[in-house]
Amino acid sequence: MTKKKTPAQKNRSTPSSHDHLHGQGRCEDLLRQLSSYIDDELPSDICAEIRRHVGACPNCEVFVASLQQTVTLCRHHPAPPLTPVDRINMRRAILDAANAR
Amino acid sequence: MRTPVLKTPPPRPAIQESDKFERLYRDHVDLIYRYAYRLCGEAESAKDLVQETFLNAYQGLKDFRGDARVSTWLYTIASRACIRMRRKRKGEPEHELSMDDFVPTSEGEFRLQIPMEGLSPEEALQNKELRQALDQAIEKLPPKYRMALVLRDMEGLSAKEVGTIMGLNERAVKSRLHRARLFVRRELSASGITHHDDQKPGGLGS
Repeated sequence: MTKKKTPAQKNRSTPSSHDHLHGQGRCEDLLRQLSSYIDDELPSDICAEIRRHVGACPNCEVFVASLQQTVTLCRHHPAPPLTPVDRINMRRAILDAANAR
Repeated sequence: MRTPVLKTPPPRPAIQESDKFERLYRDHVDLIYRYAYRLCGEAESAKDLVQETFLNAYQGLKDFRGDARVSTWLYTIASRACIRMRRKRKGEPEHELSMDDFVPTSEGEFRLQIPMEGLSPEEALQNKELRQALDQAIEKLPPKYRMALVLRDMEGLSAKEVGTIMGLNERAVKSRLHRARLFVRRELSASGITHHDDQKPGGLGS
């Protein structure tokens, strides 16, 4: 929202409720690529462009940080372990079912 | 002269299959339970899914040629079983997540934050409210998006492996994953989680 749209971006953007107030076309472009950016899958020139935009756009800076945090939380979110009793009972149930078929 | 008696060989194939299954179960049941729990969100459904998965694996073991890693094969069986079981149970229709739904329409929406500033993810997840909000956000995801997020971001598989498991190309996996992440981010940041006493003082924003 801090940068003006290039003519190409203007042509790409279609009028919508999101194409609005903050001159957000650039931010929208970035938003669509954010996961690839976070996963380090983009070419270095595009990464550099995104970094420049984020450095100049406080809203995108917060957005990128919150998406990165979301991914980090998912990666660290533990699942409860299987209990030994359930492990044994399930094995028995599977073998019983397999023999019954 | 006596003809030598040919001993009947023991039914080795059956024994081998059974041994293979025991090893398969022993080595992978924890992995598949964790995956099932993350897909189902609770223990009983997760156990049903594990049993269905290993029952199918038991029956398909003789045909498994080892083209894929065993874990990938089991993830695939579990994922298909999960879709079947869900259809049977709920008849829940899949709905699509549109990118347009995630484009913030106001400055406030853009700047929603997740309260983990200055905390490690482990410390942040000690916040029960945040943990529950994360669980609920994942549970609210339409199933095919949840599966992509769980496999990629929670199970730590590559986009290529997720594609193999879900029967999608990498581009489709990345598209689903991105929408799933945006969905969870929006749910988390809009959930109004605040500072808790069991965390570092001043570590959480409001």
